[in-house]
Amino acid sequence: MARGFYVNMGDDHPSALGVAPSGFREKSDTPFQARGLARMKEVFIGSENLLKLIGRWAKDHRVYVPVTFDIMNNEETPDYDLVKDALPETIQLHGAAPAHSAKTFVFYPREVVANYPSSDAEANVEAPSTVVVGPRGCDVRGLAKFDKVYWSTKHFTEEHDDPFIIEKRENTYIVSIDCTAAKETCFCTAVGGKPFAEEGFDLNLSPLGTGCIVTVGSERGDGLLAGSDDLLREVTQEHKSERDKNRASVTEAVDRQNAQFAVEQPYDKRDLASSEDAWAYVTQNCVGCGACNRVCPTCTCFLLVDQRAKGGYERSRNWDTCLSIGYARTGGGGNSRPALAQRLENRLRCKFEYSRDRYGLVTCTGCGRCIDACMGRIDMREAIKHVITEKAKV
Amino acid sequence: MKNLYRPIESVIEDIKSETPNITTYRFRPKEPISFEAGQFVELTVPGVGEAPFTPSSNPNITDTMEITIMAVGTVTEALTKMKVGDTVGIRGPYGNGYNLTDFEGKEILIVGGGVGLAPLRSLILALFDDVDKYKKISIRYGARTPEDIIYKDLLPEWAQVKNTEVLQTIDQPHPKWTGTVGVITVLLDDLPLLTTVDVEGLPFSPETAVACVCGPPIMLKFVNIALLEKGFKPENIYHSMERNMSCGLGKCGHCMMGEFYICKDGPVMTAAQIAEFDDPF
Repeated sequence: MARGFYVNMGDDHPSALGVAPSGFREKSDTPFQARGLARMKEVFIGSENLLKLIGRWAKDHRVYVPVTFDIMNNEETPDYDLVKDALPETIQLHGAAPAHSAKTFVFYPREVVANYPSSDAEANVEAPSTVVVGPRGCDVRGLAKFDKVYWSTKHFTEEHDDPFIIEKRENTYIVSIDCTAAKETCFCTAVGGKPFAEEGFDLNLSPLGTGCIVTVGSERGDGLLAGSDDLLREVTQEHKSERDKNRASVTEAVDRQNAQFAVEQPYDKRDLASSEDAWAYVTQNCVGCGACNRVCPTCTCFLLVDQRAKGGYERSRNWDTCLSIGYARTGGGGNSRPALAQRLENRLRCKFEYSRDRYGLVTCTGCGRCIDACMGRIDMREAIKHVITEKAKV
Repeated sequence: MKNLYRPIESVIEDIKSETPNITTYRFRPKEPISFEAGQFVELTVPGVGEAPFTPSSNPNITDTMEITIMAVGTVTEALTKMKVGDTVGIRGPYGNGYNLTDFEGKEILIVGGGVGLAPLRSLILALFDDVDKYKKISIRYGARTPEDIIYKDLLPEWAQVKNTEVLQTIDQPHPKWTGTVGVITVLLDDLPLLTTVDVEGLPFSPETAVACVCGPPIMLKFVNIALLEKGFKPENIYHSMERNMSCGLGKCGHCMMGEFYICKDGPVMTAAQIAEFDDPF
């Protein structure tokens, strides 16, 4: 019985971040406080058995795993692919984060949210049971923003709960993975994160040389292990030492590359209201393409688009970018952010200041994807450093 | 779960031209929509899209809704091509309206510019329903030319309501106009204040008087300055903020101003709430 192998990580396991494990929802003033399990449980699974386990999940769920694609360049950044009959050969559980963040599974790039003129008062949501293997610590933290914006909180009443996000969130299992390497653009530890998830997951995998430690983060995560006792073993002290060593070494690697971007302002006390010149300087290579918005694990904004469809009209929700000139434009042509520099400033201050003031969350998770995606090679770490440095001069 | 994005079918029941590019529509929604003065709705022109509007009708009437609309963008231009009997969509209401209980026993100054009088009309009609509760209702309205004045037939009626006055101005001299000329702030220059000696008419107590302002951003900016100079308290000056409220639910992000969502924290916001911004309008 696998249950016997579980290790008690203590009843006071930290849950300061407030990320609800998916499928976990407490009716209270703070529905997003991770209740999780009273105790986190751990078990070991060998590499071969892990693949078998994922294969078993694929019988009952849609399962996405990170795989490497070798397209056009030689960089092998993994991205998610659907497990069909067999596991993809290039499945890659090691390394750093996949190209896309976990938001893609709960917030689709385009989704029909209403049909009219005649439509049901109830939302018609397609949210098949899905297991996502591969989100990293940064991705799991990113989902907290979605919970704040789309689920009722003290500010947003239940009346405005978003069925399309919530049902997907409830039907999506998060199987996060510890980073075993840092990209050059990773900086999670500079914004309060860690290169591994401590909460907000259903299962977490800590890759080791011969397999993984599986940490159970929710009741339903536990359910993913049900009936697979044959694949699991007890976690040993050696396993845990290896995991701790890996975690420490990746943390240290990220810390090391953060050093050159260090600023005096703590990440959660930032005031980026700098001069126009400072923002114009960091914007000079920006073309406003919005690639950063798309890969960002905490960009929640969308555009509603209406068009003709079978039987009438349909309204779709599409990922939007606050860098486009039309984003804040009103019907009469007014625009509160006509300049691109104002829009980039808005984007970065949204991450550090506005979300913090609104939701109590700094929503830059340090995943570095905006840096990877930027065709103008704008490095947000440098941008932040520049505006803070310029501000200090005034 | 309830679908937040679904428009409620609403039939156009009446269309009344106010000016060459401003029209008042009366809609009859299939499900009654109740709102508070100052709140807004999202109006769908089928297949074209949505735009936010504050209703112009009395909030105490829920089976029909009037909205006065200026044709300036994609949705509003498409609306001008629609006829009585056609169907549009409405969802809402959203945001914060005016808290009328706070207005009781006070002088109320209503400052509208151009089509900005349209959202204020629902407030005015709500105030008229309980006119004895307020010390005074002073409506000050500016339009560019006499042709641009909306509610031409209603303004004289409003002036007849108890404790109510209506003052008007137009921006430039015009052969057909014998009244005040100048931008809206000229109607505030001689605002009778309790602190002024020898005032005519019911004076305003700037410490407690309430001002509700709606108009183009540049107007809000200068009216705000003028009212603060007169001694109005920032927490008593209510501005109708204009932003691109797209979802109305505090989610899509288009109307964000710093940490505020105008669709949630507004669209009516006090000068005190927006004081932290250099140029909130």
